[in-house]
Amino acid sequence: MAIDFDDSKDKLRRITISGRLDILGTEEIATKFSALAASAQRRVIVDLTGVTFLASIGIRAIITNAKALQQRGGRLVLFVGENASVAKTLDSTGIDDLIPMFVDAGQAEAAALA
Amino acid sequence: MVSSVLDSVGELSIRAEGSDVRRASAWIESACRERGVPANEIARLDVCLNEALANILSHGNTAALSAPVILYLAVHDESRASEAIVTVSDAGAAFDPLGVLPKARPKTLAEVQPGGLGLQMIRHSADSLHYRYSEGRNQLSFGVRWSGCRDA
Repeated sequence: MAIDFDDSKDKLRRITISGRLDILGTEEIATKFSALAASAQRRVIVDLTGVTFLASIGIRAIITNAKALQQRGGRLVLFVGENASVAKTLDSTGIDDLIPMFVDAGQAEAAALA
Repeated sequence: MVSSVLDSVGELSIRAEGSDVRRASAWIESACRERGVPANEIARLDVCLNEALANILSHGNTAALSAPVILYLAVHDESRASEAIVTVSDAGAAFDPLGVLPKARPKTLAEVQPGGLGLQMIRHSADSLHYRYSEGRNQLSFGVRWSGCRDA
């Protein structure tokens, strides 16, 4: 499980998560994920293209951070790219109706900064 | 007449701990692969397995968490389709997760409440779901079906 971030674009933080976002994987990254999502930038893209498995506990971590950011006036969007498995899981739970999900990186960035 | 052939049944005993959930996933993948279960169906079983075990870890009482959780895998072929069924057996207090009514989907992020997501994922991923309480153990079974014969 790995989590990284990139602040190279003004007002935007990209958080990249890769590996298996199951119970163990989510526990491994939860603290760092929350810290990174509480970004001073307030606009966050969570890149899930490298996630190989997404369990409900991982989705809950995403929701928690998206809610916290929204309460501070920020916005979190998801970028899944060609990761059909993760996109399908998010779609089946309806989470993509609540947190915008994009397959295109440019669209994800535009939505985060809108 | 529909013929049905029961394959060998796999079994694994795990502890109710996060690290063993991953061990269970690895087992289900290799055991299903050995029995010719297609990759997409293995992925669906893995979702159900993770959520069923997460439910035990989150809500199980002392008995559920201290006794081994037993996993069973059965694969069988019928005339035109095959089915793989996983049963998760735990020693916790009787609880039928299938009796829990699905929650209404929240309309906004602010309305989202924790809980219920795992069961929703199980219902979406499985083609069949059964629960029974027998000999002091919860037994939740979930199955996936696919057309055609198995590879192995």
